[in-house]
Amino acid sequence: MSAVLGVSAGYHDAAAALVIDGAIVAAVQEERLSRVKNDPSLPARAIAACLTMGGIEGRALDRVVFYEDPYAKLERVLVSGLRTFPRSLRHLSLALSSQLGDKLWVLDALARACGVPRARVHFVRHHESHAASAFFGAGVPRAAILTVDGVGEWTTTAIHLGEGSAIHMLESIEHPHSLGLFYAALTAYLGFEVNEGEQKVMGLAAFGRPTRREDLERVCRLERDGRFALATEYLAEHVGEIAFSPRLEALLGPARSPGAPWDLTRAADRAYADVAASLASLTEDAMLGLARRARSLTGADVLCLAGGVALNVVANARIAREAGFARVFVHPAPGDAGGALGAAILGAIALGDPRPAALTSAALGPAVDAARGMAVARALGLTVARVGDPAAAIAERLGRGEVVALASGRLEWGPRALGQRSLLADPTLPDTRDRINRAIKRREPFRPFAPSVLATQAASAFDDAPSELTRFMTTVCRVRDPALGAVTHEDGAARTHTVEGDGLLARVLEARLARGEKPIVLNTSLNGRGEPICAGAEDALGFLLSHPIDALYIEDVAIERGSR
Amino acid sequence: MSLVARTLGLASWASPARTSRRLALFALAEEGSMIDLRIAARLTSSPERAATYLAHAADEERHARMFGAHAREWAERAGLPGAAPEHADVEHLFERLGEERFVAFVHRGERRGRVQFEHYRDHFARRGEEKTAALFGAIVEDERRHEETSAALLVALAGPRASRVRVEVALWEAWRTWLRLGRALSGVVYALAMAVVYVLSAPLALAMRLRAPR
Repeated sequence: MSAVLGVSAGYHDAAAALVIDGAIVAAVQEERLSRVKNDPSLPARAIAACLTMGGIEGRALDRVVFYEDPYAKLERVLVSGLRTFPRSLRHLSLALSSQLGDKLWVLDALARACGVPRARVHFVRHHESHAASAFFGAGVPRAAILTVDGVGEWTTTAIHLGEGSAIHMLESIEHPHSLGLFYAALTAYLGFEVNEGEQKVMGLAAFGRPTRREDLERVCRLERDGRFALATEYLAEHVGEIAFSPRLEALLGPARSPGAPWDLTRAADRAYADVAASLASLTEDAMLGLARRARSLTGADVLCLAGGVALNVVANARIAREAGFARVFVHPAPGDAGGALGAAILGAIALGDPRPAALTSAALGPAVDAARGMAVARALGLTVARVGDPAAAIAERLGRGEVVALASGRLEWGPRALGQRSLLADPTLPDTRDRINRAIKRREPFRPFAPSVLATQAASAFDDAPSELTRFMTTVCRVRDPALGAVTHEDGAARTHTVEGDGLLARVLEARLARGEKPIVLNTSLNGRGEPICAGAEDALGFLLSHPIDALYIEDVAIERGSR
Repeated sequence: MSLVARTLGLASWASPARTSRRLALFALAEEGSMIDLRIAARLTSSPERAATYLAHAADEERHARMFGAHAREWAERAGLPGAAPEHADVEHLFERLGEERFVAFVHRGERRGRVQFEHYRDHFARRGEEKTAALFGAIVEDERRHEETSAALLVALAGPRASRVRVEVALWEAWRTWLRLGRALSGVVYALAMAVVYVLSAPLALAMRLRAPR
C-alpha cells in the first residue's frame, strides 16, 4: 500500500493529485491557489494542499510521478527547431532557455518540493498519463482509450487499449501533425488567446456556417482510415507550437485583430464565425474518425477520452452518438491537469496498489471554510446570516430573478463549475444571460451558459441526458424545453450538467422542484474575467465585492453587499 | 518622483497609441495588485486584516477596469483595432515577504502610485485632457487612502519595528531591481551565446532537413 503524488507542470494547467492505497484522495490545479490563470509553474501550492487533504507529509510519499518525459520533450524541441532552422532562430532560443533553465530539471525540483529522495521521483509518458486518467476514471475493466491534445513529448494523438490495470498504446500520430495545434492555430487566427480561447471558438461556431470547410481540409487532411495529417506550411511551427503562417491568411483572409469587440451583425465577423463553424465541423469529423478507428482496433464497447481536444463537448456528443460505443467517458479534467491524476494512478499501480474506483465526483480539492468566510464578511461590514435551509433560500432568490454565487464543499477538479464554486441564475429568464455576460462575466455576447439539472428530471428537458458525460459536463444535449432560453445556445443545444447526490446544488434543484419550478438552473463558473475559478471563502468574497451579484452563499452562510 | 522618471513618463504619453499602451499597463499593474491582495486575504490569520486586503483589492479591481476602459478609448482615438489580452504579473508577495513586509511594500507602492498619478493628473489637466486628468484624480484619492491605511496597519502589525520593516522592504526592492537588471543582461549574453550555437549547428540542421521525414 502506498502514497503517490502525481504532478503536471511546465506548459499550462499545472496540477497535483494524490492517491493513497489505490484511492484518489485529492486533486487540485495550481491556478486555483496561485490565482494565476492556467498557471504552468511547479505546483507547490497544489502539492501542499494535496498533502494536507491526505493528512501526510511530503517525506511519507512512496513515489512522485511527473506526467511526461522531460528528456524526450527537450529532444522534440531541439529537433523541431533544427528542422525549421533558421526560421526558428528566435523561438528556439527562447524554448531552449526555458527547457534548459528549469524544465529539464523538473524531477529534481519535485524531489526538493516534496522533500523526498530524487530516486523516488519518476515520470511516465504524456499520453500514458492522459490515458490513465480517463481509463481508470471510467472504472471499466476494458476500454479503448483515445487521447488527443496539442503535443506531449512527440505524440499528439494516441489510441490505447486499457485492460485491468494495464494500458497498451496501439498507435499514435506524432508532432507536428496535431489536432490540438491545428485548433490552437485557428484560435489564434480568430483573434483569441491560445489555451484560453478554444472554448470561445466553440461558442462562436454556432453562429456560422461551415462554408470554409474545403479550405480548412487543405490544412488538415482527414484520411479514410480515421487518421489525419496537417499541411504544416499553413502553421508557423518555427515560431512555437501555436501560430499560423501567412499562407493561412492567404487561404482564409486576414486574421482577426485580437481584442477587437465582436459584432455578429457585421459581415466581417460573420465570416470569422463561418471559419469557426468550419473548424468545428472538421474537428468533429476528425475526432469521430479517430474514435471509430479506436473501436476497430480494440473491439471495445467503451471509449475513454482525454487530452485537451476532449474539451470539445460537441465532438464528444457526436462520438457518443455515432462512433458505435455503448459507453463513452471523458475525464473531468481532460487537459494537462488531468495528467497529474493519471500519473499518480500509474505510480500507485506500479507499486502494487489496486486501480482506483470509478470517478463519480470531481469535488477533489480543498473544502471552503464557511466559518472563516463569515468572520471575514462581518469584518467587511457585509450583511451576514446563517440560514437554516440554504437550498430553499437560494431557490427563492433564483425564483425572484436574482443571481446567486455558491461556494460549497470541496473545489472542483477540471475546468467546469459543477456546483461547488458556481454562479447560479434562473434558466428561463432571457435577460439573465445578457446580464451575466455583460455585467458580471464581462465576456463576448456569443458565449453560452450551461444548465444544471437534477439527473432524475433531465430526460424531460434534454436529449441524451443523464449520462456519464453529463455528470462532468463534457457533452452537449439538444434542449427540448423552449422555455430554457438563457441556457440554450444558438444551435439549440446546451452543455448539460446532471446533478446527483445530496450536495447543496442538488438540494437547490430539489427546492426549485418543490416550489413548482423547473429543477434546472443556469450554472456558470464563479470567477471574474481572466481569473481562475474561486477556491476559498476569501476568493468568493472578493468576487462578491467586485461584481453586481445579489448574494453569496458559503455553505449555509448567506452574504449580501450591505453597507460597507 | 525623479526628474528622469518624470521625463521618461511624459514621453510615454506622446501619442494616443502610447497613451493607450501606458494606461493598459497601469490596468495590468492594478490587476496584479488586486490578485496579490486577495491572496494576502486568504493567507493572513486575521479576519479583520483579510477584510482590509479584500476591500483594497476591490478598489484595485475597479482601478484596473477604469484604466482598461480608458485605454480602449485612447486606442480608438489612435485607430487601433484592439490588443491581445495580457495577463497581470502576480508576484505572490505575501508568500515571499511575510505579512509585515507585505504591508510595508503595499504602503510604498501606494505612495509611489499617488505621487506618480498626481503628476499625470496635472500633466493631462495642462493639456486640456480633462477626462484623463479626472481618471488620475479619482484614483489618486484612493491611493492616498490606501497609503494611510497601510501605514496604520503596518504600525499596528509591527509596532516599534515599523520603520525597520520599511527599510528592509526598500532594500528588498532595490535588490529586486538589481536582479531584474541582471536578468536583462543575462538575456543579452544568452542571445549572443545562442547565435554561436546556431552557427555551429547549421550543418546538423541541414542534415535534418534533408533526411528527417516531415
